[in-house]
Amino acid sequence: MTTTDESQARPLPPIPVPDELSAEFWRLAAEGVLATQRCTACGWRAYPPRMVCVGCHADPPGFEWAPVSGRGRLATWTIIRDALLPGFAHLTPYVVAEVELEEQDGLRVVARLHDVPEDALAIGLPLTVQFVDGGEGTAIPVFARADS
Amino acid sequence: MSGRFRAAGEVAIVGFAHSPIQRVADDPLGVLTLRTIREAVADAGLDMTAIDGFTTGALFPSSGGRPLRDGIEIVTSDWIVDQLHVQPRWLCGFQGLGQICGSVILATEAIASGAADYVVVHRAMYNPPGRYHANPMTHASGGDQWSAPHGFWGPPTHMALTYTEYQQRYGATREHMATVVVGGRAAGSQNPWSHWYDRPLTRDEYLSARMIAEPMSMLDCDIPVTGVGAFVLTSKERARDLPHKPVYVAGYAQGRSQSVNGVPPWRLDDVEEGGRAVGRILWENTGLGPDEIDVPQVYDAFSPFVYLWLEALGFCERGEGFEYVQDPGTSPGLTFRTGGGAIGNGRMHGVPQMLECYLQLAGRAGDRQLAGVETGIACQAAPSVGGVVAYST
Ligand SMILES: [Zn+2]
Repeated sequence: MTTTDESQARPLPPIPVPDELSAEFWRLAAEGVLATQRCTACGWRAYPPRMVCVGCHADPPGFEWAPVSGRGRLATWTIIRDALLPGFAHLTPYVVAEVELEEQDGLRVVARLHDVPEDALAIGLPLTVQFVDGGEGTAIPVFARADS
Repeated sequence: MSGRFRAAGEVAIVGFAHSPIQRVADDPLGVLTLRTIREAVADAGLDMTAIDGFTTGALFPSSGGRPLRDGIEIVTSDWIVDQLHVQPRWLCGFQGLGQICGSVILATEAIASGAADYVVVHRAMYNPPGRYHANPMTHASGGDQWSAPHGFWGPPTHMALTYTEYQQRYGATREHMATVVVGGRAAGSQNPWSHWYDRPLTRDEYLSARMIAEPMSMLDCDIPVTGVGAFVLTSKERARDLPHKPVYVAGYAQGRSQSVNGVPPWRLDDVEEGGRAVGRILWENTGLGPDEIDVPQVYDAFSPFVYLWLEALGFCERGEGFEYVQDPGTSPGLTFRTGGGAIGNGRMHGVPQMLECYLQLAGRAGDRQLAGVETGIACQAAPSVGGVVAYST
């Protein structure tokens, strides 16, 4: 069996399906831009996108998609040794992290870490966003050490 | 306005039944549930025709991409009523987390208001073929698009993020947790209907357990099982005529503090803040405090919940749960071990906690009966999003 055959047989990671709330996020991600919703009334940022601003409850809600710097700090993590999604089995062990973005307290993104050794994992580790191919034209944010 | 629960002591548990807890049941789940309900009603000294109210929280957490069929993967109270072919005065389903707590709360309010006289609360749990949370999805829609494309899937991985943050913030280690898991299994190994009957665990076995989502190992998660618990509730007046000592609902609290940002449902800060709010509501509602609880049955389906509940309800300070559980001599919280909890029984979603409260307070706990117990609490799910019911004699 060749390598190509193996990769064709291998299940793929789930591909995100953009919807009314998320289409702009995935469009910007495909351009290499990480963005969150930002309330036009009070400036509060939301991730993942939501219908109503928890900061001010403006009615009607007014959210815009606003890029972030892509910089943040490691808030917590898990080392996945047994993937429940078949498309990630070949990547184990891999690290899934919550990254707190620098724009707002508590604004956290869940994403895989890229090239961060297990012994470097520590709360507060500076990270920066990168994007990997997510299939069907999508790009998925991952985070790498900010100093690398 | 007082936050005290005016129906405290008005509604009682008067009977119960529990099916065997098995990985694969001998009968379809619906059949097992009907049988367990009949046994609970008989245990209460009643005839099925007396039952005029039914409720459950039927949520089944493992989608696996498959449709859910009533009577097979889940058993709603509507399904029970259809099979019995009866017209109950009151029929209600609980939506949300803390399913058994929510069902007991609904039943209590129905009986206290007079909407029903004798209510059956059941909980049916199913272990599907294959891996519990495995999912073959090729595309991720809705809320899943923020987790699955990142390789982030399933409650054990959610808990792992919470647990890492807890460990890092407070200095807890797996050695600390060994006390919780080994203790739960020791109690469960004494319990005839437990999946783990006669199978205690050593600290070394726990510490060498296979990792799923570090720091969560296989043994930090309760084992998926098929089983049914059922309880009969009625008013304090009607309970006096029945064979068993009544155990009264003393009050309750429910958490609804979802994180406003981020993907995982149990971010540590939110669990701590929301959990303390639930604790405040519980103690105000019941007029009790943690020092007055003889049988604190904290939730343990994922082992870190034990710390988080003990801290949320004020049995110990924030960040001290992992130390608090180490000393059985000074830790009343360790009486959660008497029934074994979910770790000691199997994934029965709060039934072990409620059942142990009932058995201890009714004086029906057999070899593990504690002396002089008058109060208990039974928790389910995360403190910030689940529920807790207090019981008294
Ligand atoms: Zn706003």
